[in-house]
Amino acid sequence: MALSFQNTNADDLLAARRAHNERLARRADQKRATWFPVALLLVLAALPLVQLTGNYNYVLHLVLFTASYVVMASGWNILGGFAGYVSLGHAVFFAIGGYFSGMLLARLGISTILTAPLAGLVAAIVGYLVGLITLKVRGPSFIISSIALLMIVRILFDHWTFIGGANGLSLPINDLSVLWAKVPYYYAFIAMAAFTVWATYRIKHSKFGLGLRAISKDEIKAESAGINTRFYKVLAFASSAFFVGMSGAVWGEYLTYLRPNIFLIILVSANLVLMCILGGKGTIAGPVIGAILIVAINELFVATMGASEINILGTGLVMAIGLMFFPLGVIGTLARKDKLPRFLNWD
Amino acid sequence: MLEVRNLCKHYGGIKAVDAATFKVEQGSITALIGPNGAGKTTAFNCISRTVVPTSGEVWLDGQRIDHLRPHKITSKGLSRTFQISRNLADMTVLENVIVQSRAEGIRGLFSPAVSPREKDKAMAILDFLGITRIAYEDGHNLSYGQKKLMDLAALLMSDPKIILLDEPAGGVNPSLLEEIVGHILALNAKGLTVLIVEHNMDLIMRLSHKVVVMAQGRVICQGTPEIVRKDRDVLDAYLGGVLEAEAA
Repeated sequence: MALSFQNTNADDLLAARRAHNERLARRADQKRATWFPVALLLVLAALPLVQLTGNYNYVLHLVLFTASYVVMASGWNILGGFAGYVSLGHAVFFAIGGYFSGMLLARLGISTILTAPLAGLVAAIVGYLVGLITLKVRGPSFIISSIALLMIVRILFDHWTFIGGANGLSLPINDLSVLWAKVPYYYAFIAMAAFTVWATYRIKHSKFGLGLRAISKDEIKAESAGINTRFYKVLAFASSAFFVGMSGAVWGEYLTYLRPNIFLIILVSANLVLMCILGGKGTIAGPVIGAILIVAINELFVATMGASEINILGTGLVMAIGLMFFPLGVIGTLARKDKLPRFLNWD
Repeated sequence: MLEVRNLCKHYGGIKAVDAATFKVEQGSITALIGPNGAGKTTAFNCISRTVVPTSGEVWLDGQRIDHLRPHKITSKGLSRTFQISRNLADMTVLENVIVQSRAEGIRGLFSPAVSPREKDKAMAILDFLGITRIAYEDGHNLSYGQKKLMDLAALLMSDPKIILLDEPAGGVNPSLLEEIVGHILALNAKGLTVLIVEHNMDLIMRLSHKVVVMAQGRVICQGTPEIVRKDRDVLDAYLGGVLEAEAA
């Protein structure tokens, strides 16, 4: 095989260079396909109408369950994805939201759907205070501190008789018929999911988001670039706690009981992490896709393999294989390779 | 303009910076030189408070800044680069530059990441440095020299009064070196004060109005390049007592 030494034309090189730059500039201010999320939202809003033709409570439950995880995973993404601080303790805010609104419901009879934003705020305040302490360390130390938080709060809730201790407490059941009982919660979760995705989009494209991204890459550089890293991080912790707390609030009423071994388990936190990693940490659509995939895969394996432990193996296997081919998550990897379909580019 | 008084940084028993005292005059280019391990970068880190000094004072424009957090120091008008270019991969050059511009208050925090005004300003800076063509390139796709230029661009975005450059010409080729020298001189001509750590003696002698020499954490000599060049202590520090051995 003969080697060919082509005479590269300088003009060709310059033209190629210019074309490359133009492509990059185009990508930077690419138009988003906003019609897709809007259309998706409309379809989901109309979905409960199927109840008029029969009992589709299972479908509603799955969508609602996914939406609750979209809210939490997108919230987690603010701290874990944008700022790069992986927390395994976010179940704490799920519980705080659930118990705060649940107690208001049990004592005063106010629906959690109304008090959810308030529950989110309470979770955010706790998140802010916890963040002030734990965000002084990073990497593995931070992850361990977040697990420690979960264990401390679990012990606290297990022994706090005012909120039912380890037995938990049951909440009143709403008086709607079986067909329509899930619908209020369904809409609440869909609305929260839409709001969360919009809010994370706004955060990512703000100075705050840019600062968080800088922090996740190089905190020392970010700080000397003039970013108040400590404040940014704590604010990120608080805002991610807000969304998780809000989701927990409505989830409590939906379940009709609150118990530490439902809310305060590491599985809830781990699910958020897995969803973000599988979907694509730090992207807007990532946590949404991740939540859909994990809920769907879980459900599929539980249905086909039964409720034995084998279904966990199946889910794990899919995760492992998925990450072999999509190391940055589905959305992250496709975006890196320039193969992300326009309708999934929400960034 | 910048005044360092009795600055100390001890790591256990090692005195990385030992009672360093020097001044950087307004509008000057001051060079900080010394053999490896002399404490130049540590002194830099203490001034920008990337590390916390053990003791001593740093004054900027009559204000003491050694107790401030790094982002406050940046907002007071002192910006620095790092010896090993710390750029933010996964962010475009434009974002890398704009991240350096300040967000004012809570409202500023939630304003758009890249405002048209900031974009224009960043582009003007990139144009000044002759690197507009890489504006949309990812941080990790840059060559070493491009990263050095990007660092300089980011620095200028924060409207500094004084810039601290840690080996701006380290590991770059001679033609880029000339380019960087040109940029530093042009910026200085615009009134920007520069403190620079550098190993390239030729560059130091051409650029600087004043040279501060450090060895083993101490400032051993300071003055104009001509004076420093002839100083016996400086020669000793660099040549490690060879002269004494010859004299004996």
